[in-house]
Amino acid sequence: MAIAAPEQLNVSELPAWGSRSVDCFEKLEQIGEGTYGQVYMAKEIDTGEIVALKKIRMDNEREGFPITAIREIKILKKLHHENVIKLKEIVTSTGPEKDEQPAPDGNKYRGGIYMVFEYMDHDLTGLADRPGMRFSVPQIKCYMRQLLTGLHYCHVNQVLHRDIKGSNLLIDNEGNLKLADFGLARSFSSDHNANLTNRVITLWYRPPELLLGTTKYGPAVDMWSVGCIFAELLNGKPIFPGKDEAEQIHKIYDICGSATEEIWPGVSKLPWYNNFKPTRMVKRRLREHFRHFDRHALDLLDRMLILDPSHRIAAKDALDAEYFWTDPLPCDPKSLPKYEASHEFQTKKKRQQQRQLDENAKRQKLQHQQQQHSRVPPAQQMRPGPNAPAQPQAAGHHYGNKPRGPSGGPGRYPAAAAAAGNPSGSYNNPNRGQGAAAGYGSAPYPPQGRAPPYGSSGLPGAGPRGGPNYPHGGPPYGSSGGGRGSNVVPGNRNQQYWQ
Amino acid sequence: MLTGGEAQHRQPRLTEPIILDATATPRVLTILSYVLEKLVSRNDRLSDGGGSAGNILTAFHGVRSPAISLEKYLERIYKYTNCSPACFVVGFVYIDRLVHKYPDSLVVSLNVHRLVVTSVMVASKILDDVHYNNAFYARVGGVSNAELNRLEIELLFLLDFGVCVSSRVFESYCQHLENQSPPPITLISVDDVTDISVEDTHNSSPPQLRA
Repeated sequence: MAIAAPEQLNVSELPAWGSRSVDCFEKLEQIGEGTYGQVYMAKEIDTGEIVALKKIRMDNEREGFPITAIREIKILKKLHHENVIKLKEIVTSTGPEKDEQPAPDGNKYRGGIYMVFEYMDHDLTGLADRPGMRFSVPQIKCYMRQLLTGLHYCHVNQVLHRDIKGSNLLIDNEGNLKLADFGLARSFSSDHNANLTNRVITLWYRPPELLLGTTKYGPAVDMWSVGCIFAELLNGKPIFPGKDEAEQIHKIYDICGSATEEIWPGVSKLPWYNNFKPTRMVKRRLREHFRHFDRHALDLLDRMLILDPSHRIAAKDALDAEYFWTDPLPCDPKSLPKYEASHEFQTKKKRQQQRQLDENAKRQKLQHQQQQHSRVPPAQQMRPGPNAPAQPQAAGHHYGNKPRGPSGGPGRYPAAAAAAGNPSGSYNNPNRGQGAAAGYGSAPYPPQGRAPPYGSSGLPGAGPRGGPNYPHGGPPYGSSGGGRGSNVVPGNRNQQYWQ
Repeated sequence: MLTGGEAQHRQPRLTEPIILDATATPRVLTILSYVLEKLVSRNDRLSDGGGSAGNILTAFHGVRSPAISLEKYLERIYKYTNCSPACFVVGFVYIDRLVHKYPDSLVVSLNVHRLVVTSVMVASKILDDVHYNNAFYARVGGVSNAELNRLEIELLFLLDFGVCVSSRVFESYCQHLENQSPPPITLISVDDVTDISVEDTHNSSPPQLRA
């Protein structure tokens, strides 16, 4: 072995990752449940610094070390930017923890492997979903500029994020926005000649070229997602909430016009073009549809949501758009209001409990009425009655954020969706035993609650002999278990934080 | 010299098959096995065939060297996993990084097979959007699933998760491999055995790790 790249001579980098134990941290509480493990808020004992610990789930023996974790670690190791989440180190736990089986084979890493991140208070979706939340124009500009700056940095470093959505944009109380969850990210070469998987990006934010099955793509895929988020911030709700690929592409065509060879040369050659062939030709009506946006915002959006990826605006050019340079200017992040920390994981759990109580109450009420002719008003008799105000305990997680239960005040979104709030996580997260899209069981939530599915159609499955893996899990779509079930892409806006 | 994009298109690349035939073996396999064989035979002499004390690669040691030649082993991995040829270059980069980082640790006949299958598997996870899982690599590589998982984590931590290989480094390794005097080209057929073992025994019990 003769040659050494220059970097390799540097053996003094300290501390070596994996050399410290998780015992250096005190877990404070669980703040998220990701696709490959739990996330905890924790305090570094020596320094008192608050961090987020993301546990890497190692329980799928057939898969070994989760590819999402390897990708995320290797990419975050080389990205250092104020708008990209910082991976501080990797720590291991040698001994079995209380939630673990003891390691029978003496595997020193069996106890667990954790990624240590800087702690962030919110994510964009969680923040936007707060009752009564309205972002000001300078605030939206401030977030958008940070998003584009971070993304531009990724693209310059030849990294595609491939899962840009609100829940992967973390925000701290200084108003800083950082891109997170690089579990689907990958490096790309600028010639776009590599074959990449088209099974990435959460459905609602997935660009048309991926929906049409292209395997040669570049940074423009992320810019489509940015356009969707931008419009969502201005619009107050997701703009393309499709429930499967077909509906997704048609929702896009409906606003952006049907994909034709004239506006998008080569589109008819894309693998699935004919599967989703528009039944009638629709003209682009984006500007009319969003005519209530201000002119500069609309100009920028119009250049982001362009069907043909080769004409879609790049992050760098978007940063030069008039929008960011006209009054009102983007505000200084530090001037943004500080919000009480809220983590969807917790608020979701509380809502779920509340709903359970409500349902039990309803059921009891019915029985009760049948038996006793309701001598006492049910709402008072049943402790968490359906008409009772949100229970105090629902409010009390110790960041002290407000209850977000069903009765938690006016939402930013239409009542049903806001209140539904995606009670239990993703549509197609097999770990939760839920089916694809429709699946909240008995809960009366609309199909497009708050969780854009990654998709649920039975697209062509995996290859031979059990099939190769797709980056985000075995059978690439849906929830048919098997293979890499536990790594299925974060299909869920609310479940996030650090999937 | 592979200097730029255009040059790469004119001359056949290392990772391309010698014969323009999808089933042919890419040259990198032949060269890589040659390079590794050379290294191993030198190190075996140096270390008396065994892992010296303090060898950080102990986890990759078997009790005996596997019977299958490195060349056949690489072909086998390539044939069954269908990973990109580039994975073999990147796997080689990982092994090279290890021996530079831990100069006392030698790649010897006892550990080279496990190092290779683990490195190529990790490279494939990194490079290929579509790839087989560890269980499949374990069958191809003739080790148990549990052992391969352990080796994977071992490798990742030994590398300090430094699994990025820039295109510049990649090209320089390609160049380095190209410069090795190529072994005589033989027509190769991969044995159609479906099960091999680089484990120490032929039963299915997990191999014993040396203490």
